[in-house]
Amino acid sequence: MNKVITINLGGNAYQLEEGGYDVLRAYLETAAARLQANPDRDEILSDIERALAEKFRALLNSQKTVVITQEVSSVLAEMGPVEADPGTSSSGAPGDASSAKPTGEQKTAGGSGTPRRLYRIEEGAMIAGVCNGLAAYINIDPTLVRLAFVLLTIFWGTGLLVYIVMAFVVPEARSPEEKAAASGSPTTAQEFIRRAKEGYYEAMKNFPDRKAHREWRRKFRREMRAYAGHWRYGWPGWWGGSTRFCSPRAGFALPVLSLLSGTVAIVWICALISLLATGGVLGLTLPDNIPVWVAALVLLFAYGILAGSLKAARRFCYWGFGPPQATATATASVVLLLDAAVWCVVVIVLLWLALHYFPELREAVQTIPAQAHQAAADIRGWWTSK
Amino acid sequence: MNVNEKFSAIRKGLLEFLVLQIIATDKVYAADILKQLSETQFATQEGTLYPLLSKMRREGLLDYEWKESEAGPPRKYYELTPKGGEQLRETLEYWSEINGTVKKLGQK
Repeated sequence: MNKVITINLGGNAYQLEEGGYDVLRAYLETAAARLQANPDRDEILSDIERALAEKFRALLNSQKTVVITQEVSSVLAEMGPVEADPGTSSSGAPGDASSAKPTGEQKTAGGSGTPRRLYRIEEGAMIAGVCNGLAAYINIDPTLVRLAFVLLTIFWGTGLLVYIVMAFVVPEARSPEEKAAASGSPTTAQEFIRRAKEGYYEAMKNFPDRKAHREWRRKFRREMRAYAGHWRYGWPGWWGGSTRFCSPRAGFALPVLSLLSGTVAIVWICALISLLATGGVLGLTLPDNIPVWVAALVLLFAYGILAGSLKAARRFCYWGFGPPQATATATASVVLLLDAAVWCVVVIVLLWLALHYFPELREAVQTIPAQAHQAAADIRGWWTSK
Repeated sequence: MNVNEKFSAIRKGLLEFLVLQIIATDKVYAADILKQLSETQFATQEGTLYPLLSKMRREGLLDYEWKESEAGPPRKYYELTPKGGEQLRETLEYWSEINGTVKKLGQK
């Protein structure tokens, strides 16, 4: 199932698959760039568009209403690349050429600058992606934004309210275009896809036989996938960093980081239990005017920040500033395994220690089955009474 | 390098001449020109033809009029201007001179 985009060619509407639209746009943009110095640029482009319209019309009928990507590609191959100076001598007056140039440049400049928009970004989000989206919008680390929200909540109590409002008001970035607009950087997904498709089409023309075509298509898809991974794992600051696997650092840092992660997790669980059981955290009792659920949420945020930064540090040790796809080597997976093992041991030891040295915790754990039974009985009672 | 490749520059240069000849016989639109050329060694594509046609129009060799088509967008039908006709006659003359030279030198 593919998204369909409706376009206007020579005054008629045509429906193209999204991939075909990208290829077509790349073709027309290349043509426009090549004809930049040509005084008849706009006329040639509209001639080309009308010719395309006629070719597309020939492919469609009452049953078939969408031009698929492959058809767009073959129509464009039939059209051939638009040539800047045809025939023997190009007789375009120099004055004309220089006056045509600036307008062309303005057009391309306007096309490449993507306006930045505020979206929620759910990839790598902790709750609804508000902080993540804000961070992308103002181009700073999401952890800092989260911290700001927590501080706002603790000291003025407004952060939470703002967050909830934004979670409902700010739209979520779903399509690649929206995701690109969320970070608004020049290396947006949109721009990348356009350039890649352009390269794809250019290369397709140079391969004569079917086998070479297939090989190239496979390679192209692989690259696009790697790119998609890059987009998911790298937020704006991470662009263009090294993608090598840094083993010496990882060797020392990983177990330490894992230990820290484990400790933070245990401390968080203990703090949450003590908060719910006694209404205070680590000896500090809550002020009367703050409800328990707010404190729990703050705790959740604090944990998120700590765990998130530790996770990011660990990820950095595995992959450097890059996508996992590019460097998922044998060494990386060995260290990954080692790290996971250390993590498991740490958690088990800490749990064991906690159960031995905190009687309240042990009691709490022992009462879980009874409480579960109680809760089940309550629900059953409520159901039967209804 | 085979003959076909050697003559690619010459074919490119002659394209304008052939387009003039095609348009001289009848009012045609771009797809007709491409169709007539496709059966010859001068087969070309829209990407090349449209810039050439607009260049020739700019030089005053040809003109066009819009005609509605039964389906799809309106079409541009090209015809020669007097200047285009003149240019065609000159080119034909020159071509037959070249032809003569090639034959004559070959016979020696």
